[in-house]
Amino acid sequence: MLKLSEQQEMMRKVVRDFVDKEIAPIARKIDEEDIFPLELFQKMASLGINGVFVPARYGGADLGYTEMTLIVEEIARHSAGFALALVTHYMGVYAIMNWGNEEQKQKYLPPICSGGLSGLSLTEPGGGSDFAGQKSTGQLDDGEWVLNGRKCFITNSHCMRVNVLTVRTGEDAKGRPQISAFIVEGDTEGHTPGRKEKKAGLRGSFTGEIILNNIRLAQDNLLGKPGDGAKISLGTLGEVGRVGTATVALGILRGCLEESVKYAKERIIYGKPLSNLINIQLMIAQNRTDYEAARLLTYNASGLKDVGKPCVSEVSMAKYFATEAAFNAAKRTMDLMGAYGVITDYPVSRFLRDAAASIPACGTSHINQIVIAAGELRK
Amino acid sequence: MNIAVCVKPVPDPGHYNRITINPQTKLLDRKGIPVIINPVDKNAIEAALQLKEQFGGRVVLVSMAPPDVGETLKEALAMGVDEAYLLSDRAFAGSDTLATAGILAAGLKKIGEFDLILTGSESADSGTNHVPSQLGELLGYPHLNYLIELNLEAPLLKMKAKIENGYIEYEGFPPLVLGVAREINTPRYITLMGVVMARNKPFTIWGLKDLGLDPASAGLAGSPTRPGELHLPRHGRKAELLEGEYEIVAGKIIAVLRGAGILA
Amino acid sequence: MLQKPGAVWVIGEINGEKLVEVTLELLGKARELAARGGGSFTSAVLLGNETGPLAEELIEHGADQVILVEDPRLGLYQNDTFARVLERLVKKHGPEIVLFGATHCGSELSATLAARLKTGLSAHCIDLKINDRKEFVQVVPAFGGKVYSDILCPEARPQMAGVKPGIFPKTERDAARTGAVLKENAAVLDSYQSPLRALRVVQKQPRELPLEKAETIVAGGWGAGPDAWPILDQIAVELGGAVGCTRPALDEGWTKGEHTMIGTSGKTVRPRVYMGFGVSGSAHHIVGMKDSGVIININNDPEAPVFEVSDYKVVADAKKFLPVLLDKIREHKGG
Repeated sequence: MLKLSEQQEMMRKVVRDFVDKEIAPIARKIDEEDIFPLELFQKMASLGINGVFVPARYGGADLGYTEMTLIVEEIARHSAGFALALVTHYMGVYAIMNWGNEEQKQKYLPPICSGGLSGLSLTEPGGGSDFAGQKSTGQLDDGEWVLNGRKCFITNSHCMRVNVLTVRTGEDAKGRPQISAFIVEGDTEGHTPGRKEKKAGLRGSFTGEIILNNIRLAQDNLLGKPGDGAKISLGTLGEVGRVGTATVALGILRGCLEESVKYAKERIIYGKPLSNLINIQLMIAQNRTDYEAARLLTYNASGLKDVGKPCVSEVSMAKYFATEAAFNAAKRTMDLMGAYGVITDYPVSRFLRDAAASIPACGTSHINQIVIAAGELRK
Repeated sequence: MNIAVCVKPVPDPGHYNRITINPQTKLLDRKGIPVIINPVDKNAIEAALQLKEQFGGRVVLVSMAPPDVGETLKEALAMGVDEAYLLSDRAFAGSDTLATAGILAAGLKKIGEFDLILTGSESADSGTNHVPSQLGELLGYPHLNYLIELNLEAPLLKMKAKIENGYIEYEGFPPLVLGVAREINTPRYITLMGVVMARNKPFTIWGLKDLGLDPASAGLAGSPTRPGELHLPRHGRKAELLEGEYEIVAGKIIAVLRGAGILA
Repeated sequence: MLQKPGAVWVIGEINGEKLVEVTLELLGKARELAARGGGSFTSAVLLGNETGPLAEELIEHGADQVILVEDPRLGLYQNDTFARVLERLVKKHGPEIVLFGATHCGSELSATLAARLKTGLSAHCIDLKINDRKEFVQVVPAFGGKVYSDILCPEARPQMAGVKPGIFPKTERDAARTGAVLKENAAVLDSYQSPLRALRVVQKQPRELPLEKAETIVAGGWGAGPDAWPILDQIAVELGGAVGCTRPALDEGWTKGEHTMIGTSGKTVRPRVYMGFGVSGSAHHIVGMKDSGVIININNDPEAPVFEVSDYKVVADAKKFLPVLLDKIREHKGG
């Protein structure tokens, strides 16, 4: 049985209060104008949100992944785009927290827990799913690492305080590409945002290119050991990014449920509330069940992570299920609302676009299914 | 500084449209309506916390309420209040503002001495604004209500109390009982860390006997006013529908305005 | 019940050099209560400094007697000094009922006095009556006006009630009325040193016609949106009226200020015509306007609660309707 503690329920209430006052009123504007409210992100830091799972000695709130999940759900219920920016930030934070040495943690975690934005830059024009095929390079030159290349479709690209990125630093003994991870401060010379993409969904976060042009980094900026890039990125994606994206979809699902119920009660048709019609009731039942299933999968995954149990399959199941279910629920809710679903005064069409955009984020549905299958077939 | 804040848990005003009167018992039905801290009491908590941040000290919350409001009051602890006291007893039920002020005064006296006692100017559910003044009288402390500004230039307190279209400036010295208006500040958001710390803060519940109160001074028995019948307002207006294109409807409205002597 | 002569008191309030409107509104009601209860005596009580000339106005508005206390220590209102003087007067004269205008100062003073006398006080009553059992019934709104509650004060005396401005109509001034002026002193303050100091009163009268004086009020709610207000202003000008608002519109920052808000925590109005645009009709707003002459409401939700208190109902988008109405009014006036 899924049960949150009293403390977690109070935290949900606290976050919801903040969201209701600060995010919900501007959710439509965030989507229409595709703006990322950086000041709001900084305001959230004072509530402990930005470093929720980071130990207190590095400036974090010393909580866990269940708390991370309920925060992202509350935000995503109103602005999935802004929630995704937070999830991406959490990935950068997690990579440093988990694989950084003590100096790196002390140097980089406090600023990103207190308002600075972080992120994880992996994808390249040559491919995202093809992780090993990345072409950006890192070469040791005179005691410094020199990074060159291009990253694209990077969320938070244009305003990162601290970036975690991967580049190819050579080949291993078997001739396979050696990928390493680096911590790069956003204002480092040579690290520049490039083109900003216009997205159809999950608007409200910067998504764009990052150009790496002869960035020179001290050896201290190497995260982990040379060749740890795959372990760090896929570990981060697999255990935080995907849970976060699943939770973004969960927020959308709750939005669809609440909007469909509200509309069905208020809309009068044939002289009675719409909710009297059986077909509408079926759609509401489907929305509720989809939300419930996604909720249980997602909180189960974050709960496993909180107790340190392996959860790669659970995370992938949550991500794949929740994002696809969110898309279906959004379409279903638009059907339920008829013409009103198309009018942008209502958030439902935004839910549809956001859900569609959440499917390729942090690993497509197919990639996640491959992960799940691999877990089964290994047994 | 030792500051007390008196707080009232009330039904969430956002849910007022769900309140009904039971046609048989003629009593109020508030089932299922969530309870929150009276909104302007949060301004009082914020004012207390700001003073504590400036001058050091402790902030104590006192509330007279039914026993099931623990979680609601913990929110005040999560905001930064140091301790909470809940005064709860069946004997307190039905207390009007004078009886309530008497119970709060007894609780405050039992806890200790305070430099300032703050509370919200009025309660959202009953709309009464008596408690700040009455609490002050019963404790024998000077008091003011509807403060929109409060500045401590130790030991002098400079205050502004709201009146229609303006304010009155006052000066005074602690101890004082002060009711604050919503304009005085913006209550802070509760932080996640605050929620964690709230768990370990002292939370004490006292009843009639703990306060050493005479039952005749509390609850309905101790209230000079008694509630009588409840009614739902009935208005008796017909809501005649004016239909048609906007131009036509506007014309109909003008006819009404002419009939009322507003237009020729 | 109401047996003693001089049984119903109205505590007068002064703003600047004038009596506030609510004092004059309460005098009429006080007379009605006294008449219903058997006694016929209505007294107005006035505390201040050099306020003697106002006694006549109180008598001309319905007081049979004015109890006047003039003292330099009462020049500026303060709850402790005023309450001590009133307490002394109440104990000396024993009124049955004491009414206060529920202004900020009136509320504070009545609460202070009630605590000193250990008697009952009801706040912001919307009606006062003597029932068939000769009990003094005070009707107060609760939960923002969703429910009305009768309040009684069966034993403690005097029975005290606060009434907001605009609830009762002002009595006509009758220059022929005569009455007695009883001068009392503030000697009780000789042995009292106040720990509080009122320094000064700062007030700025808004330039617009106050809502309570307007014959027509056009009110905007949340449904009118941020851009409606210049149009509402122009309609008000054309109709010689004033613009009011609801709490949500005020909170959004769209309006001229709290003095234009209609509701239980704002103003009570009874214009000849009230027209609401995008007002949903929350209970507390309804309490503030329900006694208007003709009530017209425009809202795009046919089930909006405001229609329960409307004479005329228009189901339309206020944002789109407002400019059409303005044009039509201008056309009518120009032609």
